[in-house]
Amino acid sequence: MSVAAGGGESKIDKTKLMMYGLGGGVLGIYLTHVLNTITGSGYFSFLAGLGVIAAVVMGSDAVRRVCSYGIGTGVPSIGLMAMGMGLVAAMFGLSIGGVAGPIIGIAVAMGFGYFVGLLANKIIKMNIPVMEEVLMTLGGAGAIVLIGLSVAVSGEISYPLILESVVNTGYIAILFIAGTLAILHPFNANLGPDETQDRTLVHTISTGALAMFAAGLASLATIGAAGLLTVVIAVIIWIKSFMWYFALVKRDSSGVVGTGLLPEGGL
Amino acid sequence: MIAFDANMLLYIIEIVIGGLLVGVGVHFVPVGGAPAAMAQATGVGTGTVQLAAGSGLTGLLSAGLMMSVTDNMLMIVISGAVGAMIMIDATMIVGNWVYIYGVGVPPCSAKVDYDPITKEPQPPYISPGTVGHGIPTVSFVSGTIGGLLGGAGGSLIYYALMSINGNPGLSGFFAIGIFVVNAVVASYNIQGTIEGFHDPKFKRVPRAVQVCLVASLVIGIFAVLITGGA
Repeated sequence: MSVAAGGGESKIDKTKLMMYGLGGGVLGIYLTHVLNTITGSGYFSFLAGLGVIAAVVMGSDAVRRVCSYGIGTGVPSIGLMAMGMGLVAAMFGLSIGGVAGPIIGIAVAMGFGYFVGLLANKIIKMNIPVMEEVLMTLGGAGAIVLIGLSVAVSGEISYPLILESVVNTGYIAILFIAGTLAILHPFNANLGPDETQDRTLVHTISTGALAMFAAGLASLATIGAAGLLTVVIAVIIWIKSFMWYFALVKRDSSGVVGTGLLPEGGL
Repeated sequence: MIAFDANMLLYIIEIVIGGLLVGVGVHFVPVGGAPAAMAQATGVGTGTVQLAAGSGLTGLLSAGLMMSVTDNMLMIVISGAVGAMIMIDATMIVGNWVYIYGVGVPPCSAKVDYDPITKEPQPPYISPGTVGHGIPTVSFVSGTIGGLLGGAGGSLIYYALMSINGNPGLSGFFAIGIFVVNAVVASYNIQGTIEGFHDPKFKRVPRAVQVCLVASLVIGIFAVLITGGA
């Protein structure tokens, strides 16, 4: 049983989105590290959260491209796989690479993605032409999301610090699932013949902001009051993007009317 | 920084075997997807990954509990397998209560004329316009085997990773990462739905074995290089 997901025309080019996603994600993570180290504070942790939002937009666009083919297992599966690959690659990168860790992690994740996509097409014979490229993008997005959220919690790129403040505290569970949902939920919620790219991607900004919010809450316990900045910025982005999303929903629907409750005995 | 020794080879082999068990285990679990959620197809009404993750995580929990008292690999793997079996069985039996007493449909399979285990005829019980409903005996048994394989595979991966880095949080999440990759690849192989080992789609297992073998090997090589920090 494959779910005919549908999906409208793409107004924004995938290469452009990939550039913004990868560039924004890496920039956010490194700016956080550099500025926090220079100032000796945690106030710039929100930048990693902003990088995560850029990466989830890239990932969500990849999800919508591959799911238009009807992968048969539902949208959540591919989001979870992205984060599974991203997790292994991200931790590998951080563990061996030191400050260069995020770059190594993202590269390894994209390699994993391409490879798994190749296997899916060649051996399982899914024959989805964009599979390799999409899984590559998703692997990269997964790695950026995990590293970005981890850095937003720990305050700097340091494997021992991330282990101590993110993994050992168990926050990684929240970051993992919040990041996964940020990537997979928007297309899952918007799919159908009337799906439009801008609506899905604006929805992604709001889910990305929620993931950032979760990281901000966790960071209150690790970097202290500076984490409040991440929380506040995430809330502002969520309110703005959700209002924007609601405007797009009203644009795309034939009509939004309040019907009130059913009258007494109306059933 | 990176030292490669014979033990690592052993851990990689354990991770690959674990990945294979997960990939094969997914084929046993009766997953019906969205049609089953409306009682229009046989199986549990959700996706493969959700079922695999649910039972796999329970397996990891029970394996982790066992690991806190012993480092005997067999005990840990069995504990993980039993945990996953209990979880998947609980899911299937509660699902069946909902189908039988809530929706009002008898569990039956549309893929076979006679249940291979109970020998009961199936077609008379299938509502017109549907492809079976609920979790019949054969699917239930099959699902239990799936839980066994998935749980054993997940805990084997966890055990291998714990032996390397000694950090339960890191190992647990790594095991989940490797687990979902294998489970998703396997579920692509069955296109999202399967009734159990009696389903014709089950013959596709060799393809999943190949993919899970290669994918787990590659991920395993990276996973063993990660240290526990400090």
